[in-house]
Amino acid sequence: MGVSISAPYIYVCTRMRIRKAKLLPKEEYMRMLNMSISEITRVISETEYKQEIDELGNTFKGIDLLEVALSWNLAKEYQRILEITPGTLKQFTRAYLRYWDIQNVLTILRGKSQGEKTGKIKEVLVPAGGLDKVMLDRLLAEDSMDRIIEALKGRRLYPVLAREYPAAKETGSFARMENELYKQFYAELIADASGGISGGSQFLAFIRLDIDVKNILTLFRLRADKIQEDVKEMYIAGGTITAADFAALNTIQDYREFIDQLRVKVRTGPVLELLNDLETERPVYEIASLLVRVQMEQMEKLSKRNPFSIYPILVYLEKKKYEVFNLRALARGKESKLPSETIGKYLVM
Amino acid sequence: MVDVNMTLEMVQASQMGMKALGAGLAVGLTGIGTGVAEMAIGSAAVGATAENKEIFGLALLFTVIPETIVIFGLVVGLLLLFV
Repeated sequence: MGVSISAPYIYVCTRMRIRKAKLLPKEEYMRMLNMSISEITRVISETEYKQEIDELGNTFKGIDLLEVALSWNLAKEYQRILEITPGTLKQFTRAYLRYWDIQNVLTILRGKSQGEKTGKIKEVLVPAGGLDKVMLDRLLAEDSMDRIIEALKGRRLYPVLAREYPAAKETGSFARMENELYKQFYAELIADASGGISGGSQFLAFIRLDIDVKNILTLFRLRADKIQEDVKEMYIAGGTITAADFAALNTIQDYREFIDQLRVKVRTGPVLELLNDLETERPVYEIASLLVRVQMEQMEKLSKRNPFSIYPILVYLEKKKYEVFNLRALARGKESKLPSETIGKYLVM
Repeated sequence: MVDVNMTLEMVQASQMGMKALGAGLAVGLTGIGTGVAEMAIGSAAVGATAENKEIFGLALLFTVIPETIVIFGLVVGLLLLFV
């Protein structure tokens, strides 16, 4: 009861619910599918993105304006949420937002290795995690990748980066380092959640669901790309699927048998229901958006069951993330002159 | 329990004391009940108002609805003391 009737929890969860209600509805995306980039920019400048569009309107134009405004808004929104969340919720939210640190550091490293301009890399960074704008600017100002890694000394990412970077530099591929960073991220989340802090079990349930969804998606992607080797590197520990099962599932050639076996191994109810609908083979992007939808529905359910917990915050953080992803996908799709139906398939609604 | 050796005045004073105690409890306990109810509604109302200032009036109305409980307590207290 202690947690469930705490006033700060009620305060912040109500705010999250209202913010969630302000997100763009499905109908709005459907309308946007038939608009040009400038029209989309105008429409979103009348919503929560107004401030960013106004601020950046003089510096950027077209798709760049949209991209930067979306990233800035997402970062600002996440930082504000961190400011208003109380006690243990803040700790969990901060832990969850470290995901963006990995993304930002990898973006900087990849950008630098491909010789991209600093300004161009900065446009796609989302300073929503522990590394703030000042720190990211410092990293961007470094001229070599070794110095970027050194600048991160003392941060949580550093041990993995220092361990994996030499190999990544040699092969020219950051894939293994990325996998290791995410594995460490999830391991830390589990450690934070199971540290005996109140509300930790709810956070743990979310992490487990997230890991399961990620592992299943990886399996589908591996099937689509017909990759057999080093699958254990891509496996994230902590979900309901074990490492051995993950490797075994990847060796199954027949699609039907794969689905049947996956159904046996997965114990998450809603994912199981989805697998029942996947009897026929579908493209990976469709499966990805179906899995995300199932994950969101399950989280919504959990947030209704535990109205004053970490769930309403996580649901909002995730939905906001997908709103920005959707708008970005829409803008990029329009820029590449893709037909509306094709863009629509990639949106998470 | 009434002591047989008590005088009429003593019994009346005791009854008055009991009434006062009852009235105090009626107001006090309902006050606590109202406070608990308003804590949850108030925090949600402040949260909602922070996001959307237009609903301040409505949020305030929702927050004071549990006041009825303490008013019932007050009425019971007054009835005990003066009727």
